[in-house]
Amino acid sequence: MSLLTVKGVSKHYNERIVALSDVSFAIEPGEFVVIIGSSGAGKSTLLRCINRIVEVTSGVVTFDGLDVGSLDKRELRKMRTKVGMIFQHYNLVNRLCVLENVLHGRLGYKSTWAGALGIYSEEEKAQALRVLRLVGLEEQVYQRCDQLSGGQKQRVGIARALLQDPKLLLCDEPISSLDPNASKVIMDYLKKINTELGITCLVNLHQVHVALAYAERIIGVKRGRVVYDGLTEHLTAETIHDIYGSEAGDLLLGSGGNHVG
Amino acid sequence: MQREQSLAPLWQPKVRPRLGQHRALNKPLDKGTLFMRLTMATFLALTVLAFASFDYQGINIYNAFLGTIDNFRVLMLSPQLTHFSLVEAAEGMLITLSLALLTTVIGAILALFFGLLAAQNLSSPLVSSLIKGGVAFIRAVPTILWVLIFAIAAGLGSVAAVTGMAFHSVGYLVKAYSEAFEEVDSGVIEALRATGASWWQIVCQAVLPTAQSYLLSWTFVRFEINFVGALAMGAAAGAGGLGFDLFLASAHYFDLREVGFITYLVLAVALVLETITTQIKVRLRVQT
Ligand SMILES: Nc1ncnc2c1ncn2[C@@H]1O[C@H](COP(=O)(O)OP(=O)(O)O)[C@@H](O)[C@H]1O
Ligand SMILES: [Mg+2]
Repeated sequence: MSLLTVKGVSKHYNERIVALSDVSFAIEPGEFVVIIGSSGAGKSTLLRCINRIVEVTSGVVTFDGLDVGSLDKRELRKMRTKVGMIFQHYNLVNRLCVLENVLHGRLGYKSTWAGALGIYSEEEKAQALRVLRLVGLEEQVYQRCDQLSGGQKQRVGIARALLQDPKLLLCDEPISSLDPNASKVIMDYLKKINTELGITCLVNLHQVHVALAYAERIIGVKRGRVVYDGLTEHLTAETIHDIYGSEAGDLLLGSGGNHVG
Repeated sequence: MQREQSLAPLWQPKVRPRLGQHRALNKPLDKGTLFMRLTMATFLALTVLAFASFDYQGINIYNAFLGTIDNFRVLMLSPQLTHFSLVEAAEGMLITLSLALLTTVIGAILALFFGLLAAQNLSSPLVSSLIKGGVAFIRAVPTILWVLIFAIAAGLGSVAAVTGMAFHSVGYLVKAYSEAFEEVDSGVIEALRATGASWWQIVCQAVLPTAQSYLLSWTFVRFEINFVGALAMGAAAGAGGLGFDLFLASAHYFDLREVGFITYLVLAVALVLETITTQIKVRLRVQT
């Protein structure tokens, strides 16, 4: 059974802005899928429709056997704990320390007041430290997040998502604010999480060459529609041109020819 | 293209100051300036007219002027307590400070709750605009009027003063707090929603930690305002404290030296509060 199915999903922000129209695909457990598309194509909207940060206008999203659209408030919170999310701008609480931010990954599991007051069990703290070791941040545990570099902040974001014990990881342009070195580190962590922990990953990327290097399967989105869905090696230069329009030349040139495996 | 670019640095430094001078010299008399000048001229004419047409009832302006200067000299240069002891004055100050603290704390607690509901990123548009409209009305009515309004029910005294001042504080702080909450990055709120966190968890774990320094400084600014308010209410609404002592000294005992002493006392405390506020603001700027 598919872990995630998106069926006929459309999203209209208002009468004029149609962010998604009739999008359908399915993700199997353990897959590493990259969504590519130029900016404004609807990639971010698509990810947010999956955990209902954005409500769909029409269509059905099914996650782990649950019809996401029909969940009530409590069921939705419970479903969200199983879907980790990481962001282009990391979205950490800068005034709190690394450990406190990572522990936010447990909020969905806790009673409202224990979570609000930040009361965590020893087991949860131990788990947080384990996850921080996994992303190589054991030295920064008590550091405030605004003192970290971009790459470190994104690793805190990954650790927070991992502490949710997720089945699916949604990554919205996780490397768009990072330099090439930090980008590679982050993408390698995501790949490792996918292969070693078996967590399914759905990653939005603007950079085609990174997508070609890491993805098993690519979904191409253009103006709110899926225009390609298939294995990475079957993606042709023409399709890339179609997805990115006039931008494609720069994107492919900028990457050189050394990436595609 | 290229020629324009190479010319630009040569042109800018020469032309800009000259343009500025040119404009300053030939500043056109636009409608706004004209209106301002007409208003000023009218005020001036009215002032002269008023002094000319006052009924002085045999007061010698020269002597009256000297008398005023003399009173002012006594007030400022020979402060002294006569009817109150120093302990009583300190007690009065303590009461006034307590009034300010009480009204600020009540205001802050209520404003924290309503501020959350008024923040657009944490509330529904309807609730937010209802509360914002409500507190705009509360703020538009001066504190003293609220005290008088509450005095209808509670009688003139400390209860009306505290209620009225706290009420106005709520109006002021809800606006300040909700704006601080709205500054919180929407991405952070989104990230916590995505973990399955509930509204209160997001508020306590993301919104309050991010906004806390702003909340603290706004609260302190309001405390300063309420200190002045408590002083005035002590006299005007009979709420007690140093304001009432001041009222007695001036309107009852006609003791200028005592008024002077109390004025200096208030000035000292106001200076201390001002220093603390400045310190808080400096620390805030360092932190954020
Ligand atoms: N909250 C919103 N309100 C209105 N329009 C939006 C909103 N978010 C995104 N959009 C619009 O929806 C379209 C898709 O945006 P987005 O999903 O962010 O694309 P991408 O992530 O691929 O750059 C864009 O035209 C964008 O302007
Ligand atoms: Mg986006």
